[in-house]
Amino acid sequence: MSHHDVIVIGAGPAGLSAASCLAEMGLDVLCLDEQAKIGGQIYRNIQDAPKDRCKVLGEDYDNGASIAKRFTDSKATYLDNVLVWQVESNGHVCYSRLGESKEVKANYIIAATGAMERPVPIPGWTLPGVMGAGAANNLYKEAGLTPEGRIVLAGSGPLLLLEASLLARKGINIEVILEITPTLPSPKAFPHAPKALVRSDFLWKGLSMIREIKNAKVPYYKGVSNIEASGKETLEKVTAQCGTKSLSFDADLLLLHFGVIPNTHIFRQIGCELSWNVEQRYWFPETDAWGRTSCERIFAAGDGAKVSGAVAAKYKGEIAALEVARCSGILSADERGLFAEPLLKGVRHDHWPRPFVDQLYAPRPDQFVFAEDTIICRCENISVKDIQKMVNEGVSELNEMKCITRAGMGPCQGRMCGPAMAEVIAWQTKNSPDKAGLMNIRPPIKPIPLEEVAAMELASDEAPGKNWLLDKK
Amino acid sequence: MYKLDTSTKNENVEVILDGRSVSLPSGMSIAAALMGTGKIISRISPTSGKPCSPHCLMGVCFECMMEIDGVQRQACMTEIRSGMKINRHLEKENNNESS
Repeated sequence: MSHHDVIVIGAGPAGLSAASCLAEMGLDVLCLDEQAKIGGQIYRNIQDAPKDRCKVLGEDYDNGASIAKRFTDSKATYLDNVLVWQVESNGHVCYSRLGESKEVKANYIIAATGAMERPVPIPGWTLPGVMGAGAANNLYKEAGLTPEGRIVLAGSGPLLLLEASLLARKGINIEVILEITPTLPSPKAFPHAPKALVRSDFLWKGLSMIREIKNAKVPYYKGVSNIEASGKETLEKVTAQCGTKSLSFDADLLLLHFGVIPNTHIFRQIGCELSWNVEQRYWFPETDAWGRTSCERIFAAGDGAKVSGAVAAKYKGEIAALEVARCSGILSADERGLFAEPLLKGVRHDHWPRPFVDQLYAPRPDQFVFAEDTIICRCENISVKDIQKMVNEGVSELNEMKCITRAGMGPCQGRMCGPAMAEVIAWQTKNSPDKAGLMNIRPPIKPIPLEEVAAMELASDEAPGKNWLLDKK
Repeated sequence: MYKLDTSTKNENVEVILDGRSVSLPSGMSIAAALMGTGKIISRISPTSGKPCSPHCLMGVCFECMMEIDGVQRQACMTEIRSGMKINRHLEKENNNESS
């Protein structure tokens, strides 16, 4: 089993910056990436995307080039196509790559798992032709795929509008944008407005995005509810309610987006403590100012720790790296503080407009009232009604719900249904979703063939009984 | 639903898809290569029996799970390579070639 000073999981802005920083200081860094190329979601394919594609994606994408270059110039070891399926608080990591599973260990682990789109079930969202808006974005970055046919965008949040403006820039016709955000912004947003003005550049970007959509003359409804997708074999129609008006659109592609939440499966499998973000309604790993989780050797950086975007992720990756360098005896506490100063300043500068934007698009409890026939667990085909029935019978905890209904037992391991199930329980029990708890996550957190586990070479120095999966061998 | 735009100049590779030899663009994930050539159905859901298409394209939803070289894997997280044997197992429920 190979041993490294640090293992970095993820190669988005946080992971790349953390790995580069530590490798530049001479530490032995192994970066494990699920994708085939560095960049994460935001900078996907950054090093190979053709020029005209970069031009469409704009400077926010181009910014990733320097982060990627710094990483490639560093001596960090990069492994692509890696499925990390188990991480332990003692620094052991099991992963599968090209049909072979291996166990590696490190003194410290920086997990930069990034964010995922918040799954919000709507009727018909399992139909082929209904996708995440982020999915369309990824397909373009990675492969230059452009949607065609009748395209409807629905949901809320800045990334929905970003995707719309991107499509408009490419000259693609959008049938309609259906936004669930109320026409009048929440009064809670206003106290944050002055702070947002500090970053006029940021607001300017937002405004030009909206102008681009306007110029393309895309029909745009706000305060929409009851979004439904329907069709026989694939998507044919999208309907919604806007005030008293019923809307109906023929559609070939429906892109959904309801904001992003941290991807916490690794932290939960390790056993790190998680906290509930009341405003944004998501779980995140608890960390100190340097990104250290409740497990001493495990750090969280970037959107996987708290959703604050690519720019902050870059700084936070490096901030975590500095603390790891101090713990490894490379930096003194003073030096660490000195190096961290400009990074912390960068985080603060980037953060100015965020509370305002977060409030504008904050998820509201009433947006999680689902029609009862909606499929909530896509893997096991469990409907909202099935969950509601069990809540009526007194089940109000997610693991119990999973045992009884099978929701969350499929290959996605509750990634798609967990957050929505908690919302259903919360709405019915008039409680906060965090009171429904979190589904237990057990390894392997990605599906792997058992023959890979059987063929693994395991460390002999570990006492048996510590690892439930590997001990079964 | 999707088409490859002009900025994509990737070479094609030959793979065996559902038992037949097909030519797909390389340098991208299997999911992207299939969607870019009009093959949007990724699997038949074993629980609902209905066709699925990739949903998240970032390794979260598992709707693009298919048999790749004998192992169930996420097509969006697997880079396409020449000679791969990919089985979507669409025939159980639906004999028509999906589009």
